[in-house]
Amino acid sequence: MAPKTSRRDFLSAGLMVPVAGASSKFGFWKPTETTAAETASSPVKLDYKVLGRTGLKVTTVGFGCMITSDGSVIERAADAGINYFDTARSYSHGNNERMVGTALGAKRKQVVLSTKTHAPDKAGMQQHLEQSLRELNTDYIDIWYLHGVDSPADVHDDMIEAQQLAKQQGKIRFAGVSTHSGQKEVLPWMAQKGAFDVVLAAYNFSMSAAGDAGMEQAIATAAKAGIGVVAMKVMAGGIRRAKHGDPLYQKLTQPGAMLAALKWVVNKPNVATTIPSITDNDQLEENLKAMGNPLSAGDQKILDAHLEMIRPVYCRMCGQCDGACQKGLPVADVLRFLTYADGYGQFALGRERFLELTAEHVAVRCGDCAECTVQCPHGVHVSDRVARAQELFA
Amino acid sequence: MRAAGLLLTVLLASGTAGAQDYLNCHFVAGWEPSGAKRQYIADNLFEYKDGSAEGYLSFGFVRMQGITCASGANTLDIDVSEMGDADSAYGMFATNLDPSLPVAKIGMGGQVQRQSASFAKGKYYVELVEVAANPDSDDTATMQAFVAKMLGYIEGRETPPAVLEWFAKEDLASTRMIPESVLGLRELKQGYVAKYKLGQAFIVQEASPEAAAAVLKSLRERFEGATSAKVGDEAFQAKVKYLDGICIFRKGKTIAGYANLSGPEDAATQAAKLATRIP
Repeated sequence: MAPKTSRRDFLSAGLMVPVAGASSKFGFWKPTETTAAETASSPVKLDYKVLGRTGLKVTTVGFGCMITSDGSVIERAADAGINYFDTARSYSHGNNERMVGTALGAKRKQVVLSTKTHAPDKAGMQQHLEQSLRELNTDYIDIWYLHGVDSPADVHDDMIEAQQLAKQQGKIRFAGVSTHSGQKEVLPWMAQKGAFDVVLAAYNFSMSAAGDAGMEQAIATAAKAGIGVVAMKVMAGGIRRAKHGDPLYQKLTQPGAMLAALKWVVNKPNVATTIPSITDNDQLEENLKAMGNPLSAGDQKILDAHLEMIRPVYCRMCGQCDGACQKGLPVADVLRFLTYADGYGQFALGRERFLELTAEHVAVRCGDCAECTVQCPHGVHVSDRVARAQELFA
Repeated sequence: MRAAGLLLTVLLASGTAGAQDYLNCHFVAGWEPSGAKRQYIADNLFEYKDGSAEGYLSFGFVRMQGITCASGANTLDIDVSEMGDADSAYGMFATNLDPSLPVAKIGMGGQVQRQSASFAKGKYYVELVEVAANPDSDDTATMQAFVAKMLGYIEGRETPPAVLEWFAKEDLASTRMIPESVLGLRELKQGYVAKYKLGQAFIVQEASPEAAAAVLKSLRERFEGATSAKVGDEAFQAKVKYLDGICIFRKGKTIAGYANLSGPEDAATQAAKLATRIP
């Protein structure tokens, strides 16, 4: 369950380019005192990995441009050496692509640029591609993703044709799929299909907390098949979902929390790069430090604290509650379905699985029991969690 | 936890009731509902909007209600997002608008195109997206008809944020609300940016003059070689990479300034003009 410590067996030779003091070289920016001290003791380096069969050498920390509002941050990141930038046709109705294209400017050919299409058919995709090329002010896209594929059924043959045709025309270099949910199904399918070069998948430290090896296996399967793996949602979407003032928000926004979560993913051997959203220069400076630095004991402590905080809601699937519910509910299953929604943001999947229970079980309401007979040895507040699942899904 | 769950249920239930009014395919003859109405909250918006959901969340997204209408082979997705407040709804609209088209007087602002429309009114951000059998068809009239009907059912403010009036209109290209880190500077937590033919202006409001003074002091420490400028209550100017000539000033509890001009003097000149427009 606990995140593993640093592993350095990267896919690539791990080209390390020292950029200590990079911030002062790239303009006016004076880092905060904390940043300066940390930089002095552990110089920032750029780490590279090979993005699967594409052969592209990408910095292990990339740049998710979706909510970046000022192009100067993107420009600065490119100057600092980050070489993977991600946007999508749908972000801000195309305005994000336009901003990214303007910000990268002459540096465009020095970076790996990815965008996505959510068009459901070949004609729509081709229209999107032309728009993306125009807005990004480029004549080719490095990686062109099918956006938000939750199931292999979402991908039709003509969509793959559109990607292959665009490759032949030189408008894209590589074909990809992005997936927010359904990774465990989508990644092995991609590995088998052989039509894709890159996958962009939601992946973060909380996903290993349930002792669920499925996600790790899915990523390993994709990587083994030569598919380059890009990780997104490295903070589990937590910061933006948590409300100001609540304990989760405080925990996720504490100094070093983002860095620890980012390091956790960066140090996963099957992940080539990551695309954390970056809105300002401080965040950029902090993210740069995830490269060339292992997951430290301090980082581990922060992540452990976060996991401890979610302990009352996080089922480890140990099975010790089997048969304990007086109404016969498969408690661990219900908690797992809730985790799909609460932990991974896969609401539909959670609801779908919940509704696959027997009608008798779907009809159970924890509030009807005077006392819950299920006691979790790990401290999960079972009746509260199951009640939430009932309210959310039933 | 149970209380939170109940709250969620109540929120969704109340949303359903409200949705009866402004989500109506029969607003325009020939259109019929296709499938059930949809509802999303912050926890599951990713299911519908994928990565774009983060943009909604950054503007204080509360919930979205939507419906798909059909007319022959054409479909129309109508989605109404309740944002944190009216300013955020306007911010969402401004972030997503087509900058090549004018903003129409629809609610706080809106745009109607051949097969899509969007507008903000009160704390609601509304999107209409048609998927037409003929991608080249001009269905502007249909979009306008739906928008006109929906406006009558959506309550709230119909004027853009007052702060936008403080920006000079000459050579103005666009205005936006920035939900976090204006100009990529964390100290400037939330505010407005106006893009001009040359450079960009920004306005950020703090809770008090003291808080604003602290922000300005912190910012100045960030910029190497900054010198004082005579703008507003206090100000500095600098020439820096990425933001070029910049001048940032404080006037009362407002932090504002100009960036991306050729030199700090130009920025100071423009900032002084902006300062006179700030009450």
